[in-house]
Amino acid sequence: MQGLEALAEKDERIMLVCADSLLAMRATDFVEKFPDRYVEVGIAEQNAAATSAGLAIEGLIPFFATYAGFITMRACEQIRTFIAYPNLNVKLAGVNGGIAGGEREGVTHQFFEDIGILRTIANITILVPADADQARQAAIAAASIPGPVYIRLGSGRDPVFFKKDSPFIPGKINIIQKKGNDIALFGNGVLLPRLLKAAEILTSKGIGVTLVEVHTVKPIDVPGVTRVLKDCGAAVTAEDHNIIGGLGSAIMETAAENTPVPIARIGLRDRFPGSGRPDELLDYYGMGIDDIVKAAEATILRKSK
Amino acid sequence: MTERINRLITIATQLRRDIINTVYFAGDGHPGPCMSIADILAVLYFDILRLDPGNPEWKERDRFILSKGHACPALYAALARRGYFKPSELKTLRSLGSRLQGHPVQQYAPGVDATSGSLGHGLPQGCGMALAAKRRGDDSLVFVLTGDGELNEGIVWEAAMTIAKYKLNNLIAIVDYNGIQSGGKVDKVSGLVNLAEKWRAFGWYTVEIDGHNIEELTFTLENAAIRGRATNDKREKLTIVPSLPLPHPDQPVVFIAHTIKGKGIPYMEGNNAWHKRVPTDEEHQLALSILGGLDLE
Repeated sequence: MQGLEALAEKDERIMLVCADSLLAMRATDFVEKFPDRYVEVGIAEQNAAATSAGLAIEGLIPFFATYAGFITMRACEQIRTFIAYPNLNVKLAGVNGGIAGGEREGVTHQFFEDIGILRTIANITILVPADADQARQAAIAAASIPGPVYIRLGSGRDPVFFKKDSPFIPGKINIIQKKGNDIALFGNGVLLPRLLKAAEILTSKGIGVTLVEVHTVKPIDVPGVTRVLKDCGAAVTAEDHNIIGGLGSAIMETAAENTPVPIARIGLRDRFPGSGRPDELLDYYGMGIDDIVKAAEATILRKSK
Repeated sequence: MTERINRLITIATQLRRDIINTVYFAGDGHPGPCMSIADILAVLYFDILRLDPGNPEWKERDRFILSKGHACPALYAALARRGYFKPSELKTLRSLGSRLQGHPVQQYAPGVDATSGSLGHGLPQGCGMALAAKRRGDDSLVFVLTGDGELNEGIVWEAAMTIAKYKLNNLIAIVDYNGIQSGGKVDKVSGLVNLAEKWRAFGWYTVEIDGHNIEELTFTLENAAIRGRATNDKREKLTIVPSLPLPHPDQPVVFIAHTIKGKGIPYMEGNNAWHKRVPTDEEHQLALSILGGLDLE
């Protein structure tokens, strides 16, 4: 929301559209500063999406912000036909992305299909920032990307991972560390701290790791991902999302078409989770540091000799 | 009957002829739902809407959304006759590469202000466009023409609430109340009854009119447009139908236009077989002989 305020100060066209999601989005400051730039439609996400389309037809840049699943599932068709098809400049910001994002609320408020759903819709850019400062940068970047952009956000209590103002270049992979090339770890969002820990453990075992953040899941950086895959010859992907449809799928598709290598996916294994504390949930549902380390070791063994 | 009204009647007939020809030559389309809105479109496009066909993106133009996008042969005919493109292009409806897609697409067809066809979306799109017009501060209007069947969709009523909440008196909705949706009569299929009361309960100034009476359409829509463009102080004194109480100055307006599906071609009128059907050679010739008017150029 800090990003949105900074944008609104510079650009008259920036609007905020909410579906009674003002508090969830922590956007009350924005509304105090820019009361006439805020459209509140109530708990009516389809209407919010189609109204955003109307605003964008007239040249405004609406940010429709609410829970990730109410955007991508309740208003899926509105996004597909009335925002993505006309390639309108609507930005979608979804909170509670992943099972950690929705944490104690349970499945109704945990959204781990959002990226898979939107990835099948043409024209949409998908950004998955890892922490608050990167979310700020993603919002600013989204405003200058023409057409619809989905920003996938967590709970708002996600651990800080990046230093403030770390470079954020949409459409490009971000190589966090390169300590050898036995295995590539691709990840994003709330799992990055876990990936970093896993990388340290693997390094201590003498395994060379290239750790890559993929904050732009669509369009996936095909040359960047391919380069890393060719260099390492094996990879693990990790995301707080169903293993079907998200980052893991995007990396595997890229690999299969460009440089087939063994890959393992870390994520929610196509099942429904439940309520719990975020770290507890990620551990229980197969996204633990240990899971990443084991997957890396097993995948290295699958490399062709 | 004035010259103004006679001209609009002639145009409505021409649009009906274009619709029949378009569906016949394209070999696909929904003639019944087009016929019920031909008179409304003739009045809007040839008398009420502030447009410049030479400059489809003109900021201060009035916007029109055909929410019931399946009736686009009627919209395309109005746009062609108004000069947005040549009437000969109408025959390309639904064919590969045509700007005239099976349902209207804003980035392809000149003069189409919003993509439509998935039902229920004209009102929320219009809501966003009317909010933007208020923000611009000009006196352009947003007209939304919806079917009655699509009022089954919940999003319509979500938008009806939002439009009333934001006092979008620059938006004018028209319901093509022909009483029949794809599967039969609207009250039987979906329980859509007490329509005027529904709109009134949502805060809209609701006017019931005969959607085939060109004179009534012209004068009521003209009054609504004058009111929609008026400054706040003047608006409170402006009527839409002199025999009815004045609307509150903040209220959006909806016209419930009582219409007949297939209107103008006796064998189509009220016959839902013509919701989506292509006329045979004989039916095509019969329709043209009933209507008169010009062929596609």
